Amino acid sequence: MARLLSRRVTAEGATQNKYSSRYRWIRAEKAVLPILLFLQFSRGIPSLMKHLLIPVVLVILVTAEASANFNLPPLPPREEFGNILIDRTSEANGQQPVNFSHWLHRTKFTCRVCHGELDFLMKRNATEITERGNRSGKFCGACHNGKIAFRHNGNCDKCHNGDLGYSNKRFDDFMLKTSVPMTMAGNGVNWSAGISSGALKPQTYLKKKSQDMNFEKELLLEAEMSIIPPAIFPHKAHAAWLDCDNCHPDLFNIKKKGTHFSMAEIMKGNYCGVCHLSVAFPMDECKRCHPGMRE
Amino acid sequence: MKRIFVITIIILGFAGIAFSAGGVKKKKVLEQDYGNVVLDTNSLKAGVNPVLFEHWVHRKAFTCRVCHVDVGFSMKANEGGIRAADNMKGYYCGACHNGKSSFHGGEPLFAACSDKFDKDDMKRCLRCHSQEKAGQERETRREQREKVFRTFADNMPRERGGNGINWELAEENGTIKLIDYIEGLSTKRPPMTNQKDFTIGAKVEGVPEIIFSHKKHTVWNGCEVCHPDIFIGVKKGVEKYSMIDLFAGKYCGACHGKVAFPQSDCRRCHTKQV
Repeated sequence: MARLLSRRVTAEGATQNKYSSRYRWIRAEKAVLPILLFLQFSRGIPSLMKHLLIPVVLVILVTAEASANFNLPPLPPREEFGNILIDRTSEANGQQPVNFSHWLHRTKFTCRVCHGELDFLMKRNATEITERGNRSGKFCGACHNGKIAFRHNGNCDKCHNGDLGYSNKRFDDFMLKTSVPMTMAGNGVNWSAGISSGALKPQTYLKKKSQDMNFEKELLLEAEMSIIPPAIFPHKAHAAWLDCDNCHPDLFNIKKKGTHFSMAEIMKGNYCGVCHLSVAFPMDECKRCHPGMRE
Repeated sequence: MKRIFVITIIILGFAGIAFSAGGVKKKKVLEQDYGNVVLDTNSLKAGVNPVLFEHWVHRKAFTCRVCHVDVGFSMKANEGGIRAADNMKGYYCGACHNGKSSFHGGEPLFAACSDKFDKDDMKRCLRCHSQEKAGQERETRREQREKVFRTFADNMPRERGGNGINWELAEENGTIKLIDYIEGLSTKRPPMTNQKDFTIGAKVEGVPEIIFSHKKHTVWNGCEVCHPDIFIGVKKGVEKYSMIDLFAGKYCGACHGKVAFPQSDCRRCHTKQV
């Protein structure tokens, strides 16, 4: 709980403290319920069985604790949200780490271009980007070749500068010039509304055509706790940026009523958390997924 | 007390499994590595490195059917139990890799495995037995493999996913010419007429229907690769399968996702918008 309360209050007034009393209540519900059940059913059970039940209850309690701990990562300033420093081999080779700004790239390209076509993985430093590869037109070099974007020669410090806020100056510029819809957290940009309003027109592919599947089904995902309204998942808003295979079947199996994507798992960076912690709008905006939630 | 301890451990174990499952993005296989199989039924036991088999090298010249039906390779790695003695007798790899056979008017193929060899032969061994122990490869060897792949793939029609090559199109427009008959191994039979293309409905509303083409598949597979093992194929609709089965490697997943284009390229099959 202490960690939750110490959660940083963002400039937009996204206060987690406001919610804290509700979360405390949820946690109490989760913790008390198994104990009550245990007491209820333990009367008729022989003593040996009682001993066996203790570890079971303990496990349930521990997991309930874990799942109720909403430990959101602290939010960076909006112009730095989604910025990463890539340092797989840079520093080992006497170079500064590469600053990469997601927001800057997604103004021009959809996620699928880099994370599908160009084979960038979804985890920092996991992709084997090499200078030779870049120069032969792979990874960054697919665009950064002097034709689509700036080339390698003479531009080392545009990427290898170790400065997370390298493109901050361009953010205000972008916000002033384009009339993108705003939102509370993350970059402060409602990227998905930006596409539907026509303010943003990111390119959907370089050479290999995208899947362009017209699949618009909205899913209703029941929340773990009865007092939380269900989450609505729009396929359409996601398909504008992504191909099917960015999420299926790795992140989400296509099972009809399969796995439950618990908040605890999402917080760990699994399921929705693969994107919605660090690049896509962060989970501070509860209402964007759980529209029925009170402010 | 001991029993309680054991049971606690088991329960904790189950809890661990339940909480670790799913939701993580898998590492994507690189284009030059797609369809590569490590064969190690007897290699390590015999003191040589496992074989790294590259599907793309072979499928640019042969149909799937030749190896998986006529030669008799299993569709599952390490299931066949290939031995050096088999190769020497002219089975499995030795059916073509015998130092005599040549295809497309090229050099005779190098012979696979022999019981007598000297230092100079070592290079020949390493052509197949190239997979370093613990699944690692020397950097130079990897770069070399990539270079060989690139020189080939850059002249092929591009496609998303898999090898990044549209094999179907490459065959269709004659960029590659496939051998479907090996002297002394295959038997010539009059070809069967293909069934017309048909649609398979999608389970989820809004997902386009599949157009399945026998014609496109038989070029590579004949009938025998799929029927009757993978698909009994008596009558349409007898077998029920879902994407979950396919992703688990059943039905279409026997090839698609391993060697043929991956199933994550939805639009390649789900083409008929309803």
